[in-house]
Amino acid sequence: MKIIKFEIVTPERVVLKEQVVQVTAPTRQGEITVLPNHIPLVASLMPGVIEIIKENGNSEIMSVSGGFIEVSKNKVVILANTAEMAEEIDETRVEEARERAEKTVKEIRHFDRERFANINALIAKELARSRAVKRWKKIKHVD
Amino acid sequence: MANTRDIQNRIKSISNTKKITKAMEMVAASKMRRAIEAVLKTRTYANLSWNIVLNLSQAGNSNGGQALHPLLAKRERIKKVGIVLITSNRGLCGGFNTAIVNKAHKSVEKHKELGKENSEFIIIGKKGAIVKKHYNYDIAAEFSKEDIISEVKEVLPIAKIVLDDYLSGKYDKIMVAYTDYVSASKQIPRVKQLLPIDITTQDEYLGIVGEDTRVGIDKEFIDKKKEKRLQDKKNTYEYTFEPNPKEVLDEMIPRLIEVQLFQALLESNASEHSARMSAMHQATDAAKDMADELTLFYNKARQASITAEIAEISAGANALAE
Repeated sequence: MKIIKFEIVTPERVVLKEQVVQVTAPTRQGEITVLPNHIPLVASLMPGVIEIIKENGNSEIMSVSGGFIEVSKNKVVILANTAEMAEEIDETRVEEARERAEKTVKEIRHFDRERFANINALIAKELARSRAVKRWKKIKHVD
Repeated sequence: MANTRDIQNRIKSISNTKKITKAMEMVAASKMRRAIEAVLKTRTYANLSWNIVLNLSQAGNSNGGQALHPLLAKRERIKKVGIVLITSNRGLCGGFNTAIVNKAHKSVEKHKELGKENSEFIIIGKKGAIVKKHYNYDIAAEFSKEDIISEVKEVLPIAKIVLDDYLSGKYDKIMVAYTDYVSASKQIPRVKQLLPIDITTQDEYLGIVGEDTRVGIDKEFIDKKKEKRLQDKKNTYEYTFEPNPKEVLDEMIPRLIEVQLFQALLESNASEHSARMSAMHQATDAAKDMADELTLFYNKARQASITAEIAEISAGANALAE
């Protein structure tokens, strides 16, 4: 079976480097799944969940807050703005952070555009993280 | 015989200097640790993103000669070059600033057809001003530099100037002169071509950050690039873009340029603090040697004066006895 060299990095660290058989990532136009021998592709990512299936059939879940994906000859590189493995995410803290951010949006009426965009991006990021945790829990239960 | 009082004063002043250099060494060492941590963290990201950008530039060249994005297009005539020069704010860091300025000057001299008047510097760090003083280059912009840089945000104004001036046609080429951090005792000045993004430039300008440290993907990366460059245009990468090339590249390339500048800045910072630390270490050692030597002189001089005194007394006593 053909495999894909998968690598996901953020400016802070290498989140994961692994041989995989399938990668699913959220792009601007919807979710895409990359299988071996995919045509070269470059796309920008939306905040969301990345799922990979390793050679041994196990999956890994990650949350990402945006970035880029490059697919070339059986190699997938994700340059993420921020990314975490699902098992590293503390669910209660994610919920708290999201609630805080949503509250700020409601409470403060006078925004400059930059701040508004920042808070919305934060909400999207926390949402992606909580979705990643939920997906991960679901998978691990099925396993 | 030298005056013992004079020697004593010198010893005192030297050991004071030693205390200062020692303290500076410590400060530099702690800053160095943080700078190195920062530089190593982002290196993989910077290299991978540069890799993608270079791949994209290649894809553009095989796309019927039509570049995918203005930032990937090579210009036929190079009229003016902008050089981003990263130096330190303060001195006392050994040959750090001299080395990078010389390197930048040499790379300008190589492009003889351009001449000095068509090269402009954008300097980061106060010491960059020596390019004006010593070599009489024009300085287009000057940015201050923080000792510890932690966020990409800090390079945004620099990236903006670089991108705007390139796109508006003020410059036809942008180089970055920075110091690559190899180890605490080794830093290498480098000039890298930032824009246009072009994989066919000479090797020395391809500029893989952290090339010599062989951290992570670097060695593999360089070998692959060399191999690819040998095959030249046989490479058949044709990327699909989602949603479309313009939108993706408009977002992606400026960001990756920012990351490159950021990485160059981090590398320079780590190098600067390392250079300062070793310079201060040497200064401390030299001060110690000097103080030791002077102490020896002082003891000799003291002994000599005692001997002379005794000799005088005993000579006097002898004269009385006779």
